[in-house]
Order: sequence, then C-alpha cells, then structure tokens
Amino acid sequence: MTERERMLRRIQATQFALWELHVYRDTHPACREAAAKYKETEARLKERRAQYEEKYGPLDERTETGNRWAWIRNPWPWQLEEED
Amino acid sequence: MFVYEKKLQYPVRIKNPNAALAKLISAQYGGPNGELGASLRYLSQRYAMPYPELTAVLNDIGTEELGHLEMVGTIVYQLTRGLSPEEIDKQGFGAYFIDHTTGIYPADANGTPFSAAALAVSGDPVADLTEDLAAEQKARLVYDNILRFCDDPDVKDPIRFLREREIVHFQRFGEALRLLTDRLDVKNVYAFNPSFDKKKRR
Repeated sequence: MTERERMLRRIQATQFALWELHVYRDTHPACREAAAKYKETEARLKERRAQYEEKYGPLDERTETGNRWAWIRNPWPWQLEEED
Repeated sequence: MFVYEKKLQYPVRIKNPNAALAKLISAQYGGPNGELGASLRYLSQRYAMPYPELTAVLNDIGTEELGHLEMVGTIVYQLTRGLSPEEIDKQGFGAYFIDHTTGIYPADANGTPFSAAALAVSGDPVADLTEDLAAEQKARLVYDNILRFCDDPDVKDPIRFLREREIVHFQRFGEALRLLTDRLDVKNVYAFNPSFDKKKRR
C-alpha cells in the first residue's frame, strides 16, 4: 500500500463514521450524544482531508487547489495504483 | 444536486481477476435487488414522504446506495482486468463479453438488462417503507449468496461491508416506519394516505 492509499484509508474510515452518525441522526435528530460525536468526528475529518489534499490534490470539485492535472491524472477510485 | 467525491465509501483492492465471480457479483450492479435499483427506488420515493425524518432517511440512504453502486462496479471491473479471451470464455464470461467486452453494464447475473420494474414507487409511505425493508433484506441475502461462492479475501471484505450496510439500512427504515405509524390514527394507520389525502402536514 502506498502512502497516498494509507492516508486515503484514514479519511475513508473517518468519513464513514461521520456518515453513519449522519444517517442515524435522520431518525434521532434530538440525540445529544450523537450530535457531540458528529461534531468531534467532523473536525477530525476536516483535518485529515486538508492534509491529504495538500499533498495529493482535490477529493472533490469544491477544493480550491488550483491543480487541474491532479484531478484528471490521479487514480480514480476503481483504479489500482500499479495500473499506470 | 450531487457532489462527486473521488474515493470509494470503503476500499476495494482486488489482486486476482476472476470473471466467473464477476458475473455473479454483477447481479448487485444491475439486478432486481442490486444497488442501482436501490438508489433509484429511494431517491424516487422520497418526494412523496409526508414527514421530514422520512424524507431525510430516503434521501441519505438513496445517496449512500449510489456509493455502493460505485463499489460494486469497481469490484466487477477489477475482477475482469487483464484476462485473455480464452480465460474469459473458460470462466463463463464469454456471453457477456460479446456485447460489452469488459465494460460495466447493468444487468442481472443471467444477463437480463436492468429493469425499472424493480423500483416500486407507490406514492404511499406505509407501502413504500415496507417495500424498502424487504428490499434491504433481499440485497442482504444476495450478498450472503455471493459469499457462498467467494473464497478470495480481497473480494469478501468489501462484500461483507456492503452486506452490513443493508442491515443498518433495514434498521433505519424500521425506525422511519415507526415514526410514520406513530403519527397516524392508532386504530387504523391505513385510514388514509398521508401523502395524498391530507395536505400541508408537518
């Protein structure tokens, strides 16, 4: 596994935790415990995404990195690193 | 509006191609219990939901299913990489290959193209949410059946993740149905269709 993949996996794990809380809160909008966990996870994700994007380019089109080539050239999610 | 994220919900990294397995797993791309049907079913049903929690559940689970569609497509793509025509034929992928080569096409495991008949949008929230509970169980059992034919840990890992998501979604839909019936007539929840017969409910 490359360093890029390792960093991406940590983002995937954090974002999954955040998503799980998000869907849970659809049916439990008043749950304070979930709200606190959501906030905490959100902050961690923001930090991890910023670290990744600075090094490897944008994860979505909202990121302002000015690096057009990174979006086009960096591997797409279905591609394996050794492919090209 | 959707924003694309350049990553999978859960990583997929398959080293060994296996077209026979790809053919079975493609059922969850374009089959009646697959992720394409699930995403379009929930995203289409959400318009008729009478309470905000229910709309949110359908919107968000429908969105997550699009992420699962991408994961299943990735699994099928990686399982059919780098094979020779002989290997493709020997592994029972020849009939698919003739029309689609190794492109990702939404069909069930028998090759029948995706049908919108699997969507089931009734405009009645009790009927739709009950349909969704069954849909999650049907998707779960397809993943269980896939696992019966699968001994590659690279494939089993993301399939198990997808299987678990069906169980979590079943739980959320159960809560949504409960939130709905709690707000209807306790003696007869079917007294009227809250999406159609009563206007301006919140």
